[in-house]
Amino acid sequence: MQDANQGSVDPEFQQGIEDRESSPHEIPSLPVGQWLRQNLFSSWVNSVLTLFGGFLAFFALRGVLNFVFSENRQWDAVRTNLRALMTLSYPESQYIRVWVSLGFVAGLAGLSAGLWANWGGVSVKRVSTWLMGTGGLLAVCVIVREPSVILGSDGKVVRTLEGSLQRESFLDAMVNRSSWWIAAVVLLVAGIVLWRRFASATHRGSELPVTSVVFLGLGLAVLSLWIAPYGHYAFISETKSYVAESGRTVAFSTKLPWTVMLALLCSFFGLGRLLQRSEYGGLIKGASNLLWLVSPLTLFWVVLRDPALDYGHVISTDLPMGLAFGALGGAVLWSLTRTGVGEAGRLVATMLLGFAIFNWVAAFFGWYPMLQKARISFLLLAFAALLAPNFMGEIAKRRQLVLGWLGVTALVHYLATMINTPSTVEVQSSEFLGGLGLTLFVALIVVLLSFPLGVLLALGRTSKFPIFRMLSTSYIEVIRGVPLISVLIFFSVMVPLFLPDGMELAELAAVLTGYTLFSAAYLAENVRGGLQSITKGQYEAADAIGLTAAQRTSFIVLPQALTVSIPQLVGQVISTFKETSLLAIIGLFDFLRVANSVIPAQSEFLGVKREGILLVAIIYFFFNFTISKYSQRLERRVGLGER
Amino acid sequence: MWRLLATLFALALAASACGSSDSSDDSSASGSSSDAEETEVTLAANGESLLDTVKSRGTLNCGVSGSAVAFSELQADGSMAGFDADYCRVVAAAILGDANKVNFVSLTAAERFTAVQTGDVDLLMRNTTWTQSRDSEVGMDFGPTTYYDGQQLMGRESDGFSGSSQVSDVGGSVICTSAGTTTEKNIADAAAEAGVSIELQTFEDFDTVTNNFISGACDIITTDGSALVGRKAKQQPDGENWVIFPATPISKEPLGPTYGQNDSAFADAVNWAVYATIIADEKGLDSSNVDMMLSSGDTETIRLLGGEGELQSGMGLPADAFYQVISQVGNYDEIYSRNLNPVGLSREGSANAAWTAGGLVYAPPAR
Repeated sequence: MQDANQGSVDPEFQQGIEDRESSPHEIPSLPVGQWLRQNLFSSWVNSVLTLFGGFLAFFALRGVLNFVFSENRQWDAVRTNLRALMTLSYPESQYIRVWVSLGFVAGLAGLSAGLWANWGGVSVKRVSTWLMGTGGLLAVCVIVREPSVILGSDGKVVRTLEGSLQRESFLDAMVNRSSWWIAAVVLLVAGIVLWRRFASATHRGSELPVTSVVFLGLGLAVLSLWIAPYGHYAFISETKSYVAESGRTVAFSTKLPWTVMLALLCSFFGLGRLLQRSEYGGLIKGASNLLWLVSPLTLFWVVLRDPALDYGHVISTDLPMGLAFGALGGAVLWSLTRTGVGEAGRLVATMLLGFAIFNWVAAFFGWYPMLQKARISFLLLAFAALLAPNFMGEIAKRRQLVLGWLGVTALVHYLATMINTPSTVEVQSSEFLGGLGLTLFVALIVVLLSFPLGVLLALGRTSKFPIFRMLSTSYIEVIRGVPLISVLIFFSVMVPLFLPDGMELAELAAVLTGYTLFSAAYLAENVRGGLQSITKGQYEAADAIGLTAAQRTSFIVLPQALTVSIPQLVGQVISTFKETSLLAIIGLFDFLRVANSVIPAQSEFLGVKREGILLVAIIYFFFNFTISKYSQRLERRVGLGER
Repeated sequence: MWRLLATLFALALAASACGSSDSSDDSSASGSSSDAEETEVTLAANGESLLDTVKSRGTLNCGVSGSAVAFSELQADGSMAGFDADYCRVVAAAILGDANKVNFVSLTAAERFTAVQTGDVDLLMRNTTWTQSRDSEVGMDFGPTTYYDGQQLMGRESDGFSGSSQVSDVGGSVICTSAGTTTEKNIADAAAEAGVSIELQTFEDFDTVTNNFISGACDIITTDGSALVGRKAKQQPDGENWVIFPATPISKEPLGPTYGQNDSAFADAVNWAVYATIIADEKGLDSSNVDMMLSSGDTETIRLLGGEGELQSGMGLPADAFYQVISQVGNYDEIYSRNLNPVGLSREGSANAAWTAGGLVYAPPAR
């Protein structure tokens, strides 16, 4: 049955998917009282549990609210340090680069969303429930929160004679929170109106497009930047002074870029929708996929590029060298794959390997100076030459190998030139990239790089060839047997000591390498779990229709295995993202460290730690929850767990 | 077959040719710290000084704490500020003529000495106490003390403590401090000597210690006096009065510049840059009047600022090195007031007053 679905999806199955997507959880709505009786108070045990849970939720909510709105909280510490939390030392004059790269991502995201506009709809009922729920929660929050402490004319708290704090009366508190009330009531009313108009029996199943709901939400958020008085908080570098003006809208340098981001997102979405219908739709989809693959490299280029990058050096050395390796290596591989090369080809490949290894040995004694890139390229070329017999014969196969070689050369030379460039941006401290920027950057790159490596390792571990199996297994077991901290310390402290004279590894490159290798080992095990779920019949069927091993793996085995492992893979992405906070151990300033030890050490905000940490927790939750939600959607779409 | 080998040979030649021209290029072009490390190691082997390395590199790598309030703190824009950070700038201004040519490296207490030994940093300005073992066994040399600190205790006035309390008054109290520091040992020794029994609790960092003091879990907290004053100024709730005692600290913590040993030229440059700020303070020379004093000061002032008979050129510094220090960063008093007054530390009556005012801050004469 599954086989049939692989090739052409049968209409019934397709129908099934659409049904699931369009009407998730169709629960007949009950009257409130009956619903409560059935779900919360069905037995006395349930009633006790409900009451107990309710009390817990009440006190937790009250505790959080009182913490957030306590007169002891110094939220100014977080507000004025937002820039430090986001990018730390990244120079303000170079901020345009961050915005340009964010704009690139926004545009690309919009384009892709438009091209694949099968976002479906969200039922009006859900939107209205959500609106009412938010409004109701807001109203509960307003009531539950402790009345504020009265501040005297000097801005200090007023105490009673016994020394306890004087709080406003409950009624005063409710009146003073009128703006919150208004927001709650607006949300509630909007929800109820929507419910009444569209969720009635006649409109059953009516839907709003997901994208317009999302764009409306984003639009309102950006609009609020222009009109809502969030306050203007900043640290002025020139005068070393803090600005804290409440009642103003945020700085122009914040609202304008975000507006541009939204405009880019929207316009590219529209463009995507237009192009989707054009005859080049398929081609453009391919191009946008390619752009996604290239974009991390572009971000390297735009965000991390040394402003004083020596283009002369790039043109005189890096570029010719890359071209030389590409062309000559391609020529070598082309001639090695001729029919009739036979044993000579193996001999040449072995000699190449020997030469490459000799170069590395020589490097440690400083005998034979050459750029690291050349050593890496020779090693890669040797491996490619060893693979050559597999591509022997037909022109198409030979071309594949040569094109693959050109791609790998271009990628490796690009990364070696760009990543390992010491930055000379004028910063007052050594921490060039920090804060949330560092966290996201490391997480993104590690996930992207460790994915292919992990898949290869998993295939190696399940391979028939003992050498691949042994190498992959020992690699995975060694890496999994060591904690991440020790891998990071090894790469940031030990590896630079092993490197021969004249060779250096930027701290960030060391971290990315170590973390990627670590993450790949875990990812490999997740993928192997998926591989083991593929029945033997699949392999036999693939062999029976005459697929080669490579075709069988890429068209039959991997698609199924990866689908099965989606939940574990997403778990891996989330834990990779969270574990970036370990970068603090080797001296990098990720944004948890900024909140935990940089802000509390500023004499202006001495010891103010909890506010920052709460914000960091919220941001972590936001990102991880989004990832998790997206993966649930993905799982539903591929029908995981429902077969 | 032969054609293949010939191609390969050509490829290897081409790569190694551009490779070799390249590696020399790289080391001169890039200015990163690990690159400098290698240069430093080779120079040290040739018996040359770190002073020349710093000059040829064009930046001073200065190790600081990065989370020491008022001494070195990362600001909201990522820049480094504080007393120690300013002394890094003093040294940079003296050697390189530009106070901004500092590359600050945030170091933990554990990694600071290794960072000097491996050449990651040229100089430590990381509130490091000058002790005999560090001077001898660890292989460090210490410059003139820039700040005289000492461990003290802080309690609540409502608990019966006052500025004149002694260690012998704290019997039976819960005393808190941060874990893994010498403060823990110092207070235990002092209590044993005074013959009182205390309950010692340690926490991960001093923020946590202070929070426990505020919540009442700790009766007394103890660490360096400078930190206690800062905490009192910023975190004392109204309605409470915290007092710091004993008047004579229970330990001596002279803090100052630290660098690798046996590099006399670099040590002289650092030491005299620090002395210059102290002499300028004695002479009433500060960043606002330094241009005027260049012509109207006494002989020693003019010599110090690079006028006739200056001594800086002989020690490998530019003649106007200390003029740059005073005009770009300021004298000792300016540096002190700018950074330490806001957290409640004042010079008057403390060990950090000038020797003419009864303190310990003293510099040898510039002649």
